[in-house]
Amino acid sequence: MGEDQDLIDVRRVLAGDLGGFEGIVRRWQAPLINLAYRFVRDRGRAEEMAQEAFLHVFKQLPRFRAEAAFSSWLFSVSLNVYRSALRRHALPTVPLDVIARAVSRERPAQLVLEDSEREELVRRAVISLPPKYRDALTVFYFKEMDLTETARILEVPEGTAKAWLHRGRKLLRRKLGSLAADSPAALEALA
Amino acid sequence: MIPDDLDRILASEEPLLPSSGFAAAVMEEVQNAVSAPPSLPFPWKRFLLGLAAISVLAASGGWGIASLSVAERLSTAFGPAFTVLQAPHVSLALGESAASILGAFLLVRLALSFTGARP
Repeated sequence: MGEDQDLIDVRRVLAGDLGGFEGIVRRWQAPLINLAYRFVRDRGRAEEMAQEAFLHVFKQLPRFRAEAAFSSWLFSVSLNVYRSALRRHALPTVPLDVIARAVSRERPAQLVLEDSEREELVRRAVISLPPKYRDALTVFYFKEMDLTETARILEVPEGTAKAWLHRGRKLLRRKLGSLAADSPAALEALA
Repeated sequence: MIPDDLDRILASEEPLLPSSGFAAAVMEEVQNAVSAPPSLPFPWKRFLLGLAAISVLAASGGWGIASLSVAERLSTAFGPAFTVLQAPHVSLALGESAASILGAFLLVRLALSFTGARP
């Protein structure tokens, strides 16, 4: 139903009816904002990026070929917009070892990080990875671990996506491992 | 951290709901994009003509001054200070500088005529 409605709306837009695009925006606003949020961890900025993505999608709509799923194409275009936005305004990421030292100074060793803090730390670790691993991991988990869809959105063969995921996870574990070694509190958190 | 734990953390995230005015803001931007005049195409024809003209000027200017006859006349007329012009590389550099200045002037005129502005 969703995909059919998307195609109907795309045809409406291409025929000059802007109302069709409003349907697309309403259906896809939450996914696009949520994907952007995973890259920036900031709601306001995520909405700005999603808005930019929609505008770009609108301009690129004549290039959409119906043989691909609209949702894959939409996420792929949006991902490119997010990448450009991240290149233009790099996130003020704090290296994990700095976070680790701060954690170990501010908290007694026996105190365990709250689950939510620990999870946030892990998610922030993903966005500090090199871009291709960051993108692969972010899209993979956003798309509920669907490798085929992840590869489509990243516009790479499945084998490449799989290799990036493997390497990304390895790097992530190494980063989180060094965090644990530097911080007793984090050590408990990551146990 | 076990792999399953990593998967669980990264796969599960509390979904955000869009702000109430988000869709309207996007549609406003789209409307603005539609009503904005189409961007002007780059004037490749004029650019290439200008580029060709500059190349011809640079070549002829460089060749003219490097031919030394001008430099010889200048040094005869104005004295030994101009003998330096007899060195081919100096003549060539001066010729190219003159051609570049002229070329830049023409490009500015071209750009101004393209944008409709007056110098």
